[in-house]
Amino acid sequence: MKTSLITFISLVLFFANAPSYGASLYEGKTITIIVGYKPGGGYDRYARLIAKHLRKYIPGNPGVIVQNMPGASSVIAANHLFSVAKPDGLMIGTFNNATVVAQLIKVEGVRFDLTKFAWLGSAASDAVILSVRSDLPYKTADDLRKAKQFVIGTTGPGSSTHDFPALLKEFAAFDFKLVPGYSSSADVMLAVERKEVDGRAGSYDSIKPFIDRGLVRPIIRNRTTAPGIEKLPVDENLATSQTGKLIMAVNAVPTQIYRPFVAPPGTAKDAIKILRDAFANALKDKELLAEAEKGKMTIDYVSPEDALKVVAEVLGQPPDVVQVLAKYIKFGD
Amino acid sequence: MLDAFIDGLYVVFQWQTFLMMLLGIFLGFWVGLLPGLGGTTTLALMLPFIYQMTPVEAFAFLLGMHSVVATTGDITSILFGIPGEGTTAATVLDGHAMAKKGEAGRALGAALMSSLIGALIGAFALALAIPVVRPLVLSFGAPELFMLAIVGIAFISSLSGQGGRALLRGILAGLLGLLFALVGQDPQAGVLRFTFGQLYLWNGLDLIPVLVGLFAIPEIIDLAVRGTSIAGELPGENLGRGVWVGVKDTFVHFWLTVRCSLVGTFIGIMPGLGGGVAQWIAYGHAVQSARTSEERTGFGKGDIRGVLGPGAANNSKEGGSLIPTIAFGVPGSSSMAVLLGAFFLQGIMPGPDMLDKHLVLTFSMVWTMVVANIITVVISLFFLNYLAKLTLIRGTVLIPFILFLAFIGAYTSNNHLGDLLVLLAFGFLGYVMIRCGWPRSPLVLGFVLGRIAENNFYISTIRYGPSWALRPLVLVLIALTVIVLFFPFIRFKGRELTGGEVS
Amino acid sequence: MRRLLNLRFALSLAAACVAGYALYASWSWPFRTALFPRVIALPILFLALIELALSVWSIEREREGHAVDFQLTDTVEPALARKRTIAIIIWMLGFLVLILLVGFPLAVPIFVFVYLRIAGREPWTLTIVLTAISWLFMEGLFNRFLHLPFPEGLIFGLWR
Repeated sequence: MKTSLITFISLVLFFANAPSYGASLYEGKTITIIVGYKPGGGYDRYARLIAKHLRKYIPGNPGVIVQNMPGASSVIAANHLFSVAKPDGLMIGTFNNATVVAQLIKVEGVRFDLTKFAWLGSAASDAVILSVRSDLPYKTADDLRKAKQFVIGTTGPGSSTHDFPALLKEFAAFDFKLVPGYSSSADVMLAVERKEVDGRAGSYDSIKPFIDRGLVRPIIRNRTTAPGIEKLPVDENLATSQTGKLIMAVNAVPTQIYRPFVAPPGTAKDAIKILRDAFANALKDKELLAEAEKGKMTIDYVSPEDALKVVAEVLGQPPDVVQVLAKYIKFGD
Repeated sequence: MLDAFIDGLYVVFQWQTFLMMLLGIFLGFWVGLLPGLGGTTTLALMLPFIYQMTPVEAFAFLLGMHSVVATTGDITSILFGIPGEGTTAATVLDGHAMAKKGEAGRALGAALMSSLIGALIGAFALALAIPVVRPLVLSFGAPELFMLAIVGIAFISSLSGQGGRALLRGILAGLLGLLFALVGQDPQAGVLRFTFGQLYLWNGLDLIPVLVGLFAIPEIIDLAVRGTSIAGELPGENLGRGVWVGVKDTFVHFWLTVRCSLVGTFIGIMPGLGGGVAQWIAYGHAVQSARTSEERTGFGKGDIRGVLGPGAANNSKEGGSLIPTIAFGVPGSSSMAVLLGAFFLQGIMPGPDMLDKHLVLTFSMVWTMVVANIITVVISLFFLNYLAKLTLIRGTVLIPFILFLAFIGAYTSNNHLGDLLVLLAFGFLGYVMIRCGWPRSPLVLGFVLGRIAENNFYISTIRYGPSWALRPLVLVLIALTVIVLFFPFIRFKGRELTGGEVS
Repeated sequence: MRRLLNLRFALSLAAACVAGYALYASWSWPFRTALFPRVIALPILFLALIELALSVWSIEREREGHAVDFQLTDTVEPALARKRTIAIIIWMLGFLVLILLVGFPLAVPIFVFVYLRIAGREPWTLTIVLTAISWLFMEGLFNRFLHLPFPEGLIFGLWR
């Protein structure tokens, strides 16, 4: 039995690392993509999808593998990529898009500077929306504003399920009652279904199946948009104060670089160029797009320049603004 | 309804599907045995391979693998005292104790047979429950889930042993477990609790290193102290013969097996309770079946019922946990979360349709679990005699390998060195607890239920105000808590020959 | 004095300290964050102090097994048992240190080899065969196939 397992493994190894020939920086090498979460989650699925198609676009056809380094909402992985991982062009990583908030509000344990990473860009953007149960009479943001003690289930501060409605409540005069403590965003959806809560906020990708099923309807979105929800009112435009508008804008930034990919700071220029091109081309790959479509994963390439600009915009806020921000935006899963 | 039930079975036996299932079973067999390979991780790794398969084939492959993992995980738990999977730790208590008495074959036979019965009952209970399963799940809101956690915590009284002093220690262990569950970021205000500035602790203590530490490390120490093989210096020839005795044991305690299977199915159906809970409640229930207090203290020292209960619950819960995943799109465990990804890949929308329009597919999934378990159990029965002989290998040869598996098993849960520290810390704690006569199972019970209790308590009070406590199902569960809590005292009243140990 | 140093006393004291720390740490937390830790830690503190007192004043045999849990072997002579217990704990800590020093993939075969030769006094052939198997498992399954990230050993950082 044991020998058959080893045979099986060696077969798999053989196919996984089949040698290829061609002269370049990457010939015979293996690129590692570090993921800040356990296998099976969204970040992991994107990384594995890209890993499968990236090699085609790198001269020398290197192997590409995925390593999971979970913990602390991926701050551990980001720290590792920043200061431990070798900048030899063989390391890439993907982590929580909200790490930019973590850096901004100086969360304890953050030892990276996002502006110093060699960015490859982002694989997707994803709007955050607020949805309400379809059997309720609220169809527009104005309807919702009339609601009293409208109950919204959340997974806790630091998540988009919580922070998005919390800002609307604070700065746009909505009478929301936030109920934190659900174990996952899917769990909140079940609470909507059993009428324990009236609505849920969160990433559009994750709510879409339930909109399609007719359980909830979308009401408000953030400044990031997606096909089908372009016409929804944007939270910033509902804000009643300038501060509110600003905080909502900052809070929306991570959703524009929803699946960030970076290489460690100090990675050689030629390696970065190859990786950037490969990343951009892989995300245009027909097979990749077909598989993404099948797996209900949005692909929406953001260039490294744009990603870095978005990050710099957030991190460039003056200290007094940051102080106000830190009061309303937390960092978490 | 019945048509779909039968059609579902027919689908499983189409040859491509069947072949995929066999491949899944083969993989799952090894994944379950090796502590370093988790069922969830392997499911995630296999996702890319299902692009080319039809939905039925894909789920035959994935579920074939998934349902076998819990069965073979029990084998590692029994033979070496290391939980082969996070969900098979309760089997260590009595299963491994039996192995040390030279009854490894009997324990293995009982574990596998009860797994099979659990899987069967889980599947049939599910088939019968499908018409009512949606209202059933929807009637369990946060207040009911909170009370379910409290019912679970109440089992501490049964798991504590006899006498005031034992109860005191049981409660202490249980409370410590609850406290350990609170480590990490709290969902109410986002405050980091008991993290000591360590990033590793942000998301709380992980179940796997805690369980492997608590259970495997004391066994390794004991094995080293004895300086013999696991089965000691007992005559070796009885070892393998026990398999059939174990199989028969399952039928001797048939109703216990059935009850624990139903408990497992029910807990599986409830989303948010998690995979680790079912076997511990079942274990608590098995302990309750003891008729005298002497019998009760025999648990943890090799009582066959302590193997049957968790063995059955472990497999029956898998069928149940499919329900929230397919009917609501809400995964009942982390494995199911990965499976949900597979649904999307196959273009299947989880939802009420799965219990209606796509009922055949749903039943084919349930059947896959049943058939995969039957195949595994039948094949394993032939190997068990040889497997049982592993307990005759010299301890000094086994120890480095058991340590390797315990270390790598803990490490793979977060791929972080902190996992190893947690492993050793809880290993040491487990050892000291045994030395001092503190029971470990209440600690685990508290640990797996702590967060569930806290989160649902806040959801209940914020959402409903104090009136949540008056909901009818909550009142029923409160009554159940009282029964569970005082059961040992009612049962043994008047039968006590020895006084309590409290001075 | 001996009773003050026994393991039961130490364990209940540790439990009391953990509870005390939990109460202390929860001091500055918001109400909802602090409620559960306090509600759990207070009875721990109280009960642990009772257990502490009982472990000093009541007489009980050292390995009395009335918990629903397994019993440690008591057939081995106590002095030998103590020696072996300390030895295995040192082996475990040594394994951890080895992993830190040379990294997981190398630590496993080295540990298996050294343990089998020194603690087990196994013959060379068996030792080498088992070491090779452990290396194959570690390298093939966990390193090459599953791609687990293993931190580099500390000693490799010395000459860089």
